[in-house]
This record gives sequence, C-alpha cells and structure tokens, in this order.
Amino acid sequence: MYIAGIGIIFSRGRGIESFSHALQKGWKPPQFIEHASFSDKPIPLYAVDQEFIMDKAVLGKSRRADRFCKMAVLAAWDAVKDSGLSDVLLNGSMSPGEDAPSLGIIHATALGPHTTTFRFLDDILDYGEANVSPTAFSHSVHNAAASYIASVLDIRGPTITVSQFVFSFHQALLLAQSWLEEKRCDFVLVGSTDECGQVMEYICRQKLHIADDGRIKPFHFSASPEAVPGEGSVFFLMTQEKNLPAPARYGEVYEISLFDHQNEEDAPDICLIETDGMTGDETACRNDIIPGAYVAGYSPLFGSFMAGSGFQCAAAALMLKRQIRYACPVQDNPYGVNLCTATEPSEIRTIYSFRHCCGHKKAVIKLRR
Amino acid sequence: MEEDQAKDLAEVRKRVKELLVDNLSLEDIKVQDIRDDELLFGEEGLGLDSLDAVEIVVLLQRNFGLELKDIDQGRKIFYSIDTLARYIYENREGTVLKERL
Amino acid sequence: MKKVAISGLGVISAAGQGISETLETFSSGRRNGGRVSLFPTALSYPVFEVKKIPAQWHKEGMRTLSLALCAVNGALRDAGLPDDLSRLKVGVCLGTTVASQLNDLDFYRAYRKTGKAPMEPVNRFLEGNLAEAVAHAFKVQGPSLTVVNACSSGADAIGAALSWLRNGICDIAIAGGADELNRVPLCGFGSLGIMSESFCAPFDRERSGLNLGEGAGVLILESDEICRQRGKTPIGYLAGYGIAADAYHLTAPHPEGKGLEAALRKALAEAGITPDEVCFVNAHGTATPDNDKVEGTLLARIFGPDIKVLSTKGYTGHTLGAAGGLEAAFTVAALREEWIPASIGFVHQDSEIPLAPVTEKTPTEKGYGVSTSLAFGGNNTALVFASAFSHRYKSRTSPPISHKDRSTV
Repeated sequence: MYIAGIGIIFSRGRGIESFSHALQKGWKPPQFIEHASFSDKPIPLYAVDQEFIMDKAVLGKSRRADRFCKMAVLAAWDAVKDSGLSDVLLNGSMSPGEDAPSLGIIHATALGPHTTTFRFLDDILDYGEANVSPTAFSHSVHNAAASYIASVLDIRGPTITVSQFVFSFHQALLLAQSWLEEKRCDFVLVGSTDECGQVMEYICRQKLHIADDGRIKPFHFSASPEAVPGEGSVFFLMTQEKNLPAPARYGEVYEISLFDHQNEEDAPDICLIETDGMTGDETACRNDIIPGAYVAGYSPLFGSFMAGSGFQCAAAALMLKRQIRYACPVQDNPYGVNLCTATEPSEIRTIYSFRHCCGHKKAVIKLRR
Repeated sequence: MEEDQAKDLAEVRKRVKELLVDNLSLEDIKVQDIRDDELLFGEEGLGLDSLDAVEIVVLLQRNFGLELKDIDQGRKIFYSIDTLARYIYENREGTVLKERL
Repeated sequence: MKKVAISGLGVISAAGQGISETLETFSSGRRNGGRVSLFPTALSYPVFEVKKIPAQWHKEGMRTLSLALCAVNGALRDAGLPDDLSRLKVGVCLGTTVASQLNDLDFYRAYRKTGKAPMEPVNRFLEGNLAEAVAHAFKVQGPSLTVVNACSSGADAIGAALSWLRNGICDIAIAGGADELNRVPLCGFGSLGIMSESFCAPFDRERSGLNLGEGAGVLILESDEICRQRGKTPIGYLAGYGIAADAYHLTAPHPEGKGLEAALRKALAEAGITPDEVCFVNAHGTATPDNDKVEGTLLARIFGPDIKVLSTKGYTGHTLGAAGGLEAAFTVAALREEWIPASIGFVHQDSEIPLAPVTEKTPTEKGYGVSTSLAFGGNNTALVFASAFSHRYKSRTSPPISHKDRSTV
C-alpha cells in the first residue's frame, strides 16, 4: 500500500513541512517542565505548544474537543490536504456517475485522552458520583478523537480505534492493509496520537530512566536506556491506488512484520532504529543493523512514545519522497555504527524501520520508493 | 418589591450566561452578546445540543442545588436563557431554605 | 473470499458462565441483576454483575482481564484447541473500554493529595492491556489488537479478526470483548441521564434507560479449511461484517440511523444475502429512548416490521466493550439451537417504533442471524452469522462490493 499523504503535529510544529524543517535543522532541547512532585528535577518533555493546535477553520465545530482530539483531527486533516486529494476525498467532487472513493480511519494510541480521564476522576472526587460532567465522560473514551475526525472530515467509512502499549501503530497499519486488500475502503487514514499530561509526567519519572540532559541517545543500545517523553499525532493517508498525483507520492509500505522476522534479505539503504528509552532493554536492537546499510534514528527530534513508530515512519517516507538522507539529530556513537551524519541528497530505494519491545519482541515496517 | 425581583432576575440571567459560556466551551460567544430571550438550542439560538443539555443539568445541581429529573419539564426550562433563569430564580429559594434547616 | 468458520464460543455474564448455563437463564427468563456489590457506591441503579469468576482466572485488581481469560479459555475448550497456542498461527483481537483507561480512583486520589502515588495500579494497567495479556497467557505468537471503539468494541474486534483471516495474517483468531462493571462508566452513564432506576426494557414504550453489566464474550474464528483439516465441525460461519461512522455526534445516534444502515447493508452484501434471508436480529437494544427508536425504526425499514428481533441486554445489562462479543456468541448459539429467547423487559409497544421484539422463547430456522452494535462516537457495526448446516450459505469468490473506478484519483 502507498503513502499518499502525511499530517503531523509535534513539539516543533504542525504539518509535514515543519517536520521536514526539524529534520534539516537537527536536535533542539526539549522543554523542562517543573513538576510539583519533583521540585529539584524538572522533567524534560517534547510538549506540543497550544498555538499549534489552534485552527478555527478546521476545529470550528469541535468546541468541546480536548487537546488529544484536536491534535488527532489536525493531523488527520493535514494528511488528506497533503495528498492533494482533498477535493475528491472530502468534497466529493467527482465526475457525474462516479462514486466518491471511500475513506476509513484507524487510530492507534497507547494512553488515550488520559488528561480528560483524570478530569473526570476530579469530578468524582470533588463533586461526588452523581454530580459529574457528562462532557468530560464522553471525551474520556479513547474513540472520541476518531469520532471528531469522522465528523470534521465527514468520513462515513469504517472507523476503529486501537490501544496497545506494544506495536500499536504496527497493528493499525496491518489492519489498514487488510482493509485495503479486501476493498473495505479505497483509502485509510492510519495514525497514532498520544499526549503527556501532568500525571503521566509523574508516571514517566517513576517508570522510566529520564534523560535529565534532554538527549535521547538512540545508538547507545543500553540495557537501561534513557527517555524524553514526547507527545503529538501523526496520520498517514494509505491507499492501493497507484496513479497518485505528484504531491501524494511518498512511497510504499510493502511489508509489516510483527513476528519472527529474519534479516535474511539484501540490505536496505537505511535502517531506522527506534530506540527511544520507552520499552526497556535496547541491547538487542544493535542486531537489527544490516551490514551495508546506513543507520538512523530520529526520536531525539520528537521524543519517546510507546505508540510513536508513526513519527519514525514519517521520516522514512519523507526521505523516500525527497531522496534526501537526514543527519541523525543525536550522533553519540559508541559502537561506531554506520550513522547518517550529514543531510545530503542520496539515492534511497528501501528503508526498514525497526522497533523492539521488552528486549525480545520486534516489529519491522519496510518501505520503498 | 417588584423592582428588587427584576434586579435579582437580571442577576440570575447574567450568572446563567456566564455559566454556559464558561462550561460549555462556547469559545466564540461573549456573555454580553447573549440576549435575555436567546434560545438555547438550534441554529437560531446558541446552538446547544443534547450533550449540553445534560451538562446544564449538572451545572444546575452544582451551582444552585437544583435537581432536575423529569425530561419533559427540562424541555420547557431549557427553552431560553430567560426560562432557565426564571426556573432557577423561582426554585433556588427552596434550596437555600433546605440548607438552613 | 475465504470462508470463515466459528469453532468455539466462550461467554461469562450475569446470565451465566458458558453457553449452556446462559441458555438455561434465557430459557427461564431469569434476570440476575441487583444493586452494585463490587464496590461501595451511593448510586442505586440496578446492574448485572458476574457473581463468580473461577479462581483459576482471577487476577487481583484486573477484573476485565479475569473475565476475558475465563471466556477465552471456554472458547478454546469448545473449539478443541490447546492452552499453549505457540505452535499455531493464532491472532488475538479483543474489544474493551474500561481496561484501556488508567482510571484507578485510589491511585489518583493519592496523587492529588500528596503528589505521589503507588505504581501498582499503573503496573496493573500496563500489564492488563487486554489483547496483549491474553496473547501472553495463551502463548499466542500472531497479531494482537485491542479495539477501543466504545460500545461496538467487541463486534469490531470480531470484524477486524475476520479481515486478518481473509488476508491470511493468521489461521485462527480469538475475537470478542470484555468489560468489568466499574465506577467510572457507572458515574459517566449516570451523568448522561441514560441509566434506568429499574430493570431495563428494550424497545418498550415505557423504557427509561440502560442497566450496566459486565462480562466477556469470545468466538474462535478460523478458516473453514483449517477447521475441517483438524477434524472440527464448525458451529457456524461469520458471513459478513459492516462498519460505518455516522459523522454526526459524539454521544447521539444519527436520527435516521444513517451509519447503522450503511453498516447493515455492507454486512448483508458481504454475506451475499438480501434482508429477507435473515431469520432474526440480535439488536443492540440498550433501552435508552434514542437508541431503541433509531435502531427499531431502521430494522423495521430494512427487514420489515415482522422480523424477529430481540435484545439480550435485559439478561446481561449493557456490558459495553463485551456486548458485541457476547451478543455475537448468543447469535451463533441461537442459530445452532434454532431458538431465540424472549426479549426480556418488553411489554408495551411504542407507537414510534414500528416493530415489537419477541416476548417469548421463539423458534427460528437455520439460516442467517444478524447482530448490531451502536457506539458512542457514532460508530455502527453489523455482523452476519450463518448456521453451520445452512444449505444456502456458500462462500463467494469475490467481495460483492460495488466496484469503483480506481482511475478517478
């Protein structure tokens, strides 16, 4: 299946151009958030600025939507716009006698709209069980964001939200591929969104090794790696339609492998390694490197996410489309792997994007031009 | 006496408008732009919907101690700013009294 | 298109553990509901709790997972599959609402008060992701997906598993849903004003809202070929799946049931049948004024006012993420047993709903049964099941979807 459009919202902006700009400019320190529970240690966080999620034109009819929903709606909207197909997909401007192509939504999240869930718990604690806000409750469910996407974009196709800690985005992609294969829809918006609220910052500090210098070091392949939590949303417009207009030609996802993957084949041009300190021991990730391939990892640009493989995938798609190899934002390289150290034009045919979990489970997304 | 009543009622109307703007995320609407006889639902009014209606039930409970259970009664009360304010004005006294007892 | 067989059913709800106990409850018309006993609460709404989860499946503080494990185990036994699935190409696809949220009130209360909180509830949340935890428990090596589509989660999990099987992503799928009775949805549905103070009465003129319930319902789906190869006779078939968004409102269904109609038509088209070939519909039928009016009106329009309709919510309560899984299992069981239970709670015909559900245990024929689910967020899902011995059900070679000109974009 082909990537026809990308929408993204992350700590450094909104839209694929902001992402491309960040890839070109390289690493920037995260925000350091003061947290009442850790007075001496602010928490580094790649937080999404409020100004990036204000867009009256798109969100005008979503007055009740929370931050989580807004990030997802904007990323999904931008993915369709980015493809140049919005007239066909959103406005149904078809020739007479033709059906508009159908569009589905698969949204992945690890933690869902937890700040709204906690707001609802505040209500229970502050006002009692019988005096809680129905608006907060209805927005605390994970599929509220997909519902807003469907409403704002007027999508009436299949809509599904999935939530996992391990490989959420990969599972979403796999289902999208099945939907396209069986012609359940002509296009699928596949994306992942996560936010990091105050309680989650606390949990991150308790459960993870936080990089107090704000630098994720993807190539340390450490047994106790360090993380810098991030937040944001990324959506891909996927299709099996080959004849896409030029803006929509990012490349193809030709394999999603979630089980017993072997590195048996030819080396890709680039191995993307998603070692962001989020999923424990990263020592085994060094084995993912295929001799002859360049190695890259862009987590230090947007932060650590459980369901964040979409951001890595967006970097891969952009490299395939523009035929540019982007320099790794943090290049600490104790094992001397073959890193992309400079941003330069390059012939790129294939990219593998690897994600590990808990030291042994592995997933690979394979992309090609 | 009547003058006092009118003044109190105007106070309640203002309070109702503030509560709705603050709690229903009415981003583009300012308190001073809402008319006293503004309808709550539908495009010609504030454009509220069924989810706002249940939210107003909670607002009445939290702010005025008023419990509204009957949906049919609710329909009449939730017609406009004015009907909602009148309901609060006429019924909140009882609540205050109950609290004192 | 691959024919997808159902080889095992596993259920646990207030109506019973296992299909035979449940059918006995259905047959007797018993309603095992009452006040909340699982946690102290000031709310007096009646609920449908599971009174006993076998100790083997009990996980402390992880009630949804316990219910799921119990139902999955039942379904695997029914299908004649082993506990250790590591040698087979199996996938797990389960829906839930409660298990996907970090909504532990004690954890949050402690955090608010002191800025610190114990990590046990967080660990339970992280270890309790439904599909991941079930996959781990039964050593499943294939795909695992936790669907969080609110009240249609269980049905959509079954639909997603169907897509996997058709595309060869796995040979066997464990699919369904689970949810526990939890304080958060209890308060939430209360605040929405859609819970009844008495036992729910789906499609009744006097209906006053839903009752919450809990449970888990799981199907074992497998390609017909694999099922027969291992010497297992299918219980029935999953013939079609339709899912469509209303794109209308976060909590209210589309007044004309637009999304539900699209979902139903798609599911029927996939099964290759017309509405008059459907023997009965296991409706979503939550007993809220809105749901039953929209759903009942649409079902009458599509299937005719004489279609046999029932809601099993009167026996189980609304089990949220489990509902689609439980009702799918009930539908398959009804096709096998050739009867549907009385739609308990219904007494008075509503003049605004042009159909009435069955009021007594009613015989049905072999053929097709439909299960519908409507969810918060405006999602609508329909599943079409076929009897194992239905002469009419044959696999279609290609999906009967209107072909679109792919050169248009």
